[in-house]
This record gives sequence, structure tokens and C-alpha cells, in this order.
Amino acid sequence: MSPLRLNLALGALMAILFVLSLLIGPAHLGPITSIKALIAGGDEASRIIMREIRLPRALLGLAVGASLGLSGAVLQGFLRNPLAEPGIVGVSAMASLGAVLIFYSGLAGASLYALPAGALAGAFLAVLILLAIAARHGSTLTLILAGVALSSLAAALTSLALNLSPNPFASYEIIFWLLGSLKDRSMMHVAIAVPLIVVGCALLAATGRALDAFSLGEEGAESLGIDRKRTRFLVIAGTALAVGAGTAVTGAISFVGLVVPHMLRPLTNRMPSSLLVPSTMGGAILLLAADIVARVAVSAHELNVGVVTALIGAPFFLWLIIRSRREIF
Amino acid sequence: MRQSAKWLVRVSAKVRRSFAPPSVLPDISPTRGEIGRHDCFCQSLMLQIVGRSSGRLDLPPRGGDVWQDRGGQRRARAAAIFVLCATLPANAADLPRIMSLNVCTDQLAMTLAAPGQIVSISDLSSDPGLSFMYKEAKSYPKNRGLAEEVFLARPDVVVTGTYTLHNTTDLLKHLGFHVEEFAYAQTLDTIPGEILRMGRILHREAKAEAVATNFETGLAAVKASVCGPAPTAIAYGQNGISQGAGTLADSVMRAAGLKNLAAELGYAGMAPFPLELLIEHRPDIVILPEQLSTAPSLADLTLKDPALRALKGTRFGHFVPEGAWSCGGPFVLEAVKALAKVRQQVSPCSTSGAPTQ
Repeated sequence: MSPLRLNLALGALMAILFVLSLLIGPAHLGPITSIKALIAGGDEASRIIMREIRLPRALLGLAVGASLGLSGAVLQGFLRNPLAEPGIVGVSAMASLGAVLIFYSGLAGASLYALPAGALAGAFLAVLILLAIAARHGSTLTLILAGVALSSLAAALTSLALNLSPNPFASYEIIFWLLGSLKDRSMMHVAIAVPLIVVGCALLAATGRALDAFSLGEEGAESLGIDRKRTRFLVIAGTALAVGAGTAVTGAISFVGLVVPHMLRPLTNRMPSSLLVPSTMGGAILLLAADIVARVAVSAHELNVGVVTALIGAPFFLWLIIRSRREIF
Repeated sequence: MRQSAKWLVRVSAKVRRSFAPPSVLPDISPTRGEIGRHDCFCQSLMLQIVGRSSGRLDLPPRGGDVWQDRGGQRRARAAAIFVLCATLPANAADLPRIMSLNVCTDQLAMTLAAPGQIVSISDLSSDPGLSFMYKEAKSYPKNRGLAEEVFLARPDVVVTGTYTLHNTTDLLKHLGFHVEEFAYAQTLDTIPGEILRMGRILHREAKAEAVATNFETGLAAVKASVCGPAPTAIAYGQNGISQGAGTLADSVMRAAGLKNLAAELGYAGMAPFPLELLIEHRPDIVILPEQLSTAPSLADLTLKDPALRALKGTRFGHFVPEGAWSCGGPFVLEAVKALAKVRQQVSPCSTSGAPTQ
């Protein structure tokens, strides 16, 4: 499939899912009323529902999905590791931990604006640790095991921090931080996360040419005139910004960044750079679709979107491990 | 919650083992079968000790008696038993001593008990967010709802909630304590019955009768004052949890002359209520909880959602005095009165002046 046709097809699918996400909800609004209320206003109730409840949710699904898809594609290309993904290597979990520590300690008051600061710090730390490990031991196994250790540690510390909070509701929020959800996000969440996500994605997208060169190995890339330090900085800062900001408002959503690049790679020329745009849109598609499933799967009960992505992603992850067992074992 | 309860059982099991001989309190060991007779334990041991020290041996020795063999330890034991029994006030000797492990039974017990009858109440009882009687609660000893604490205090009756700490409850029953469980009061109608039941447990029937009658009279007065079309209301809690049909809050709202939106839409019990539906139906009154804790949580942020605040023509407020409808008790009348007042402001009676209060 030519890159243009692939991108157009993905773009169309993304647009359809975005609109569908806007039309689904417990309030009984017809599709035409909904769109009218969104664009022109309409009566008070439907305007508030569309602009203050459904639009932020769809926007965050789009932005966070895109950031996860893109960062998955970049990490897989940069580390030359098919299992690399922000969720599996512990970046999301560390971002959650950072957000939890800042928010529940009350250091910043009960302000939402404090969340990204903590999440970015956590994600940044996780990427630094992982790249340090990857630089020493190049094997797939080491990186994944380090990621698993980091994820578990971050999840445990997140639970601990929430259990120690004197607020009786905090311990129930473990589910949110470890599984993620897009439920009842407001425009405030969009305002604090999306700008950071856009900057992060721009940094990640700038690595495209370098990633192609890196597929020849680090020395090969340098001989092609690629600045290794610059690429490294772009990957670290881009992943931390994109994943950290997303996690701050939706919790840790896993497996999106793993599944999407693998599904789309056969449709491209297999160069890491030509996977970036499709993966970005693919991530958005997967998260929007998963969020729709989370809302309609069980009537009157909303699932956490991370449960849906894990149901898709975890079997896929197992299959990948079995397929690449020759390299691992 | 369940995990911590399991942990508790494990810890309690350890505690039980640690009380086994050679402790200074050998007779408390469940292996010696004393547990089933704990209610007369202190008194009979006192008699025994007194009897022996005065040379009168009219009481038969206990089976497998360690008291006769190891006389040197007798003083230590007597001291220990004195500590155990020192919590027993003189004027409550004929009334059962009660220990409450649940914030709801705490308040019923405080309302009805005679001075000195309460061994301890749960530490949640002094939390103004949960307990209406948090001021009264300050003067009572507190427990944390641990089986271990009950074991040491040895009350005559333990009162607790059906849903709270049921692992602890099972353990206490297994140890032979007299445990009375109170179901979480579901409606206003069950409250007089709960009051009378607590009265029977405490042997304070007359007081309970008076409190229950007072409650019913007050409730009937508020109900009689309701008039005009009922405004819609919803109790919208942390995380968007609403109080649907069958809850205490639902019956309070109905008694105050309000229509509960959650119940009207078919939600039963405490159930998450979609924010979208709330906006769609635009209730006249949204009853928000006071923040439970100064520590931040995402649950509290739900109540500050811009979508909620964008609703014009809806009254938002706490309205209900803190803790007044989190438990069934005579004080729920305050919640009914408070809501009846709000209802009166939203949809005033056309005929007479303010009939509430």
C-alpha cells in the first residue's frame, strides 16, 4: 500500500471514530442534535454535554492515543527492539507515580495543574534509566526485564502512596492510575495535557531520519552523519513529554504503543521513519475505539479503557514473545 | 478493605497464640475453653482471688487449675486481672457493657447508653464527615475496630454493622463474644426499629421508646408540612456516586417532599450516575457532600467539573448537615428538616407560611 493511501485511509478511520466517540453517551441526544449542539450551541443541556463532557473526552482519546502510538514506534525503532513500548518499559507507570506523588501529597494543593509536572518528572526518569540500561546491554531481554521491574516498582509505590493518603477515596483511585480512564475528563484536562503532548510528538517526529540510520546500528548511524546525542535527547524529551502529559490526565494506558506499530509495519516499507505518521494515527484509532468499547460493552457500567487495551494488547504481546523466542532464549 | 481484614485475622490469630501459656494470663487462652464464659470471667476470678486470700475456699477450683500449682505467680495474675476489670465502672455493673465497632452503631449507643455503659466506640465516630455526633464522641474511649481490642476489653456485647469488618465479626463470634450486627439503615422507616433494638441490647428500653417516638413525631410533622409540586433533586457524591432508590438518602429526600432524580431514572442503591444524565435532566437541586478530607483526591474533583458548574437554574449546595444522613439514627430528622427548608425555598407553598421547622 502506498504511504499516501495508507495515511488517507487511517486519517478517514480516525475521523470517523472521533465523531462516533462524540455521539456515544448515556444522555439521549440524536446525532444531528449532538453535532448542532457542538457547533452552534443549541439548548443549555445538550450544549454542556457536547462541549464540556464529550468533546474533551474525544480530544483526549485522540491526543493520548496518538502520543502512545508515536512513542511506541519511535522507541521500537530507536532501541531496535520489537517489544519496546512506553507501557511495557515502565514509562507510563513511572509517570503515574510522579503524578500521584505530586497530587496526593497535597504539595501543590488540589490543583490539576500540578499533575503534569510530576508525571513528566516520572516519565523522564524512566526513559533515562531505560536508555542507560539499553546502552550497556543491548539485548531485548534485559530491556524488557528492566522495564517490568520498573513498572512493578512504580505500581507498588503508586499503591503505597494512595493507601497512605488520609483521603478515604484515594485508595480507590489506584485503579485509575494503573489502568487509565477517559471518563468525565474536562476541557481543563485538555488544556493542561494537549499542548505538552503536541510538543512531545513534534520532538519524536523529528527523529524520523535518524531512526532509519539507527537501523544500521549506532556506529553505522554516526558514519551517516547522525548526531547520536541529539537523537537521544529528542527520544528522551519527546517520550517524557508525550507520555508523561497524557498519563497525567488519563492514567497509565498500556499496550497501545506496542500493538499499533506491529500492525501497521507490514503495510509500510518497513523503514522506521515511514511508520511514524501511520502509528500516530493508528494509536489514536485504537484508543478511540477502545474507549467506545469501554463505554458500550457493559451497559450502565463503564470499563476502564486500560482494561480494553490490555485485553487486546496482552495476548498480542504474548504472541510476539513466542514468535521472537529464538532471540530471547 | 478485604485484604486488610484478612491481615487482621492473621494478626489476631497470632495474638491468640501469643496469649497461650506461658503468658501471665494463661486462663484467657482459648485453648483452655474460657472464651465461652467470658461474660462472667472477671467477676468470678475476682471472687476466686478474694476467696482464697481470705482463706475461704467455698468456690470450687477450676478444671486443670494452674492457680493452685503456681502460687508464686498469683499476685502478678491478680494485678493483670485487676487491670482487665478496672474498666468496669461500678454503676454499670447491672447493665451490659457495650463496645461499638461501627460509626452508625456508635451513634445509636451514645444516644441511648447510661453513663459508663460504653466501653469504647469506633474512632470514626469523631470524624465530622461521617458522624453527626462527633462532638459527643470526643468524651468516649476509641477503638479501631480490631478484634484484638475487643479481646482485651472483654465487653458484654459487641455491636457492629453488617457490612463493616465482617471478617472481624466472624472471628469475634468464633471466639464466643456476643456480637450484635446492625444492617446499614436503608430507609427512614427502619430507624425507629433500630433505636428500639439498641435499647433492648443496652437494657435501656424506656429511653429508646422515648427517642423513637420523638423521632416519629418529628418526621410526621415535616411530612405533614410538604405541599405543592415536588422539585427534583439528586445527591451527587464524590466520583459521581448518586443515592438511588432504597437508600436512606432517597427516603429522606422523599420525606422532605423532593423527587430523587436517580431513583426516578431507575438507579438503585449507591450507584455511579453519569454526569451527562445529570446535565440532561437538569434537577432543581444538587446536594453535594462536604469534602471528606483536606487531602486531595480525584473523587473530589468530580464535583468541581466545569460541566456541572455550567448548569444555570440549578441550586448547588451541601444543604444537609454533615454526617446527618450517613447513618440511621434520630439525627436523620435534621437532614429531613434541612432538605424540607430548601424545598420550601425552591417551590414555596402557596397556602400557608413556612410550615417547616
